[in-house]
Amino acid sequence: MNIAVQGGYVFTGEDSARSYRLNKMAVSLTSPENRVRFQADETAYMRSFAMSEQEIDLVVRRDWKGMMDYGASIYLVIKIGGSVGHTLPQIGAHTAGMTLAEFQARRGQ
Amino acid sequence: MATVIGGIGSSHAPTIGMAWDKGQQQEPMWAPLFDGYVPVRQWLDDVKPDLFLIVYNDHANRFFFDAYPTFALGVGAVHTQADEGWGKRPLPDLPGHPEFGWHLARSLVDDEFDPTICQEMSVDHGVLSFLPMLTDSNWKVPVVPLAVNVIQHPIPSARRLFKLGHALRRAIQSFPRDLRVVVFGTGGLSHQLSGAGYGTRNGTWDNQFMDLLETDPAALSEVSIQDYMDRGGTEGVEMIMWLAMRGALGPQVRRVHRNYVAPLLTGYGLLALAD
Repeated sequence: MNIAVQGGYVFTGEDSARSYRLNKMAVSLTSPENRVRFQADETAYMRSFAMSEQEIDLVVRRDWKGMMDYGASIYLVIKIGGSVGHTLPQIGAHTAGMTLAEFQARRGQ
Repeated sequence: MATVIGGIGSSHAPTIGMAWDKGQQQEPMWAPLFDGYVPVRQWLDDVKPDLFLIVYNDHANRFFFDAYPTFALGVGAVHTQADEGWGKRPLPDLPGHPEFGWHLARSLVDDEFDPTICQEMSVDHGVLSFLPMLTDSNWKVPVVPLAVNVIQHPIPSARRLFKLGHALRRAIQSFPRDLRVVVFGTGGLSHQLSGAGYGTRNGTWDNQFMDLLETDPAALSEVSIQDYMDRGGTEGVEMIMWLAMRGALGPQVRRVHRNYVAPLLTGYGLLALAD
């Protein structure tokens, strides 16, 4: 049975397989040394994980929604965010097609 | 013989830990959350538990998708803190309880639950975000962590978690030494971290869930994973961990304390039950 949630992403095994290299690079950023290496040269760091040009481009453009559409896990996407200074609220709003300011205005925050 | 003296359901979130570390306990947005933990901490001080058995979920911090266990049990003497991608918090390592941990491993496998047995089990905010609010952060109570996969589908059902709770109770009651155990279920309540529905909460469902957890948990165990996500958001499915806590308690429980606040993106629930 396929599982899906309206307006959300359900991370399945098939998604996990498709986005594996992107997620694997992201989980490497739980090491402070790797965060420094990534920040020094993002593209070279990502190539060392054999990521495709499409995957690298998603990260370079900070296309959080694109990463989720590609099948990445939100828990790994926010680790990339941690290394480039984007918070979960910024990332979440982006995946909803908004800026954080637009999201907060809509919520009355 | 060991006994279950109670259960605690609590939300977990990195945000809670960050606010605590910044000393924001009295700020208007956070006080209703942190104040909720005060009576539960008082209760724990009164009942003097010897062990916390914490059913939670890892967030791709201890485990990655190269090998993601459905259930994983930490039996080591020490549990370190995982770096989640933005640096560690100023907290000491958690003490474990190998003697009980290995007993639990044997009992669960005998009982047809088959966790991955981990001698090294770094823990993330699924354990550490709320724990400093309930004990001194010099960790006077040892912890046995039991992680459940709820992030890469397929994930276990609510019914499976409820049955896991029953198995936890049998394991605790068959431990040959006196040990007073509090069982935790952590996660939820309603929240959704991405997509067009980012930020969705459902306070009505969260409160109904806490009502039923106390009075009719079997009914919650029959709710499908699809329905948990439809009602509480994609990540709201973490609520099923509370079923393991409730399953470890007897049919009749006494409510010690309950709290619910939703200042940001997540419905934060807290429920303490005495067995």
